[in-house]
Amino acid sequence: MTSLRITIDDELCAGHGRCYSLHPELFEADDRGYPIVRQVAVSVEGTPGARDAVEACPESAITLSSSSEGT
Amino acid sequence: MTDATATFALANPASHMPSFDATAPQRAYQDLGACPFTGPDGKKVLAKRADIVQFNRHPAVRASDGVHFPLGATEPLIPLGLDGAEHRFYRALLDPLFAPKAIARLKPAVRSLVDELVDGFIADGQVELFGRFCEALPGAIFVELLGLPASDLGHFVQFKHAVIRPQGETVEEQMAYAERAGDVMRAYLNQVLDEREASGEPGDDLIGGFLSTSIDGRRLARAEILNIVYLLVIAGLDTVAASLSCIIAWLAEHPSERATLVADPSLLPQAVEELLRFESPVMYGSRYVTEDFELNDWTFTAGEWVDVVWAAANVDPGAFDDPLAVQLTRSRNAHIGFASGPHRCLGSNLARMEMITALEQFHVRIPDYWITPGERPSFTAHGVRLAHPLPLSFTPRSGDSR
Repeated sequence: MTSLRITIDDELCAGHGRCYSLHPELFEADDRGYPIVRQVAVSVEGTPGARDAVEACPESAITLSSSSEGT
Repeated sequence: MTDATATFALANPASHMPSFDATAPQRAYQDLGACPFTGPDGKKVLAKRADIVQFNRHPAVRASDGVHFPLGATEPLIPLGLDGAEHRFYRALLDPLFAPKAIARLKPAVRSLVDELVDGFIADGQVELFGRFCEALPGAIFVELLGLPASDLGHFVQFKHAVIRPQGETVEEQMAYAERAGDVMRAYLNQVLDEREASGEPGDDLIGGFLSTSIDGRRLARAEILNIVYLLVIAGLDTVAASLSCIIAWLAEHPSERATLVADPSLLPQAVEELLRFESPVMYGSRYVTEDFELNDWTFTAGEWVDVVWAAANVDPGAFDDPLAVQLTRSRNAHIGFASGPHRCLGSNLARMEMITALEQFHVRIPDYWITPGERPSFTAHGVRLAHPLPLSFTPRSGDSR
């Protein structure tokens, strides 16, 4: 089954925290306030939230890519 | 330090636009980004969101030239005045102390402070809200965060006023005044730190965090802690007060949006982000270029200072749909009201928590409010945008109704 894969570019992420504030089901904050992806492979239902997080990231640090392996 | 005024953006770059209006500056910010702009002082002004975000993360861009320091400081302020590996080291130490998990413990204190402040005027039906609420709240929370008695707040307020609005006829006199205030505050803090160390218990507050935090076995020296607190006082006390005043002033004039938030406080986190985007209380900053490079339509030269205007980026039509309209549940709200890149505001999570919690509790106590008829809020045009005075009226209630 085709799913989408969320990745965060650690070089770009500046810890704004917009992703985990908006979508705690997909992201959580580590002890520094930087995001951890909770769910790397996004289901169909999770896709709008993931896209929302991508578009709300001030540093454009989040990407969604196709993943046929469904990791 | 004689040319300090030439390096830091003291005047609002948008004030050079014919459309500038301190009460509603958003149009002027948009005009600033419409074509490449160089200020009368010869400094480039970055106003497009994409330019600013890419510029800020460029390795040749720093927040300091290592010689000039803002805010009356005589050495680089930690972490704002540092860059590269040294900056990353301090951020790794400091970020955990301001992470969402660490500051969540302060929510009950914010709520009870709101109650305490509101009790002071709720029976009157009107108030100058900036002094009685917006400014009072972050100061009291800051003292709570540090773990100091509320009665010590005066030390920090005096220091903040001396540094932000120093007395004196010349720049030199003003800097000397600010430096003396810094000495007084450092002496007070030294005493606090001595007492805390002597007690043997660092404590789970910020002072305790400074005394016990470490990275690879390296801990903060006394001089470093004093330096960090110096910046925190300035950055933490003024900006949250300013932001709260802008947000409440906007809600006071938009009753239907206010009613929506009163009815559903779960919308507040998104609404606060949107009003931070629209109001952009910290309007601009300065950056220093260490090597020649080109970026988009710009050519930067080593040794130049550049103004970066967060407030303009936040109304950039290339980055936001209908940017001059406030949409409380706006999607694609990638605003940079807390700056961008490595110097993203260290206190952003604390600021958000304070604003969201304060508005929620304020709305519980005072759900209907408006600008006092015949009076107007006055907005600052330069520096940090704030509404002062903020003359607010509301339906009076008895103080013990909670």
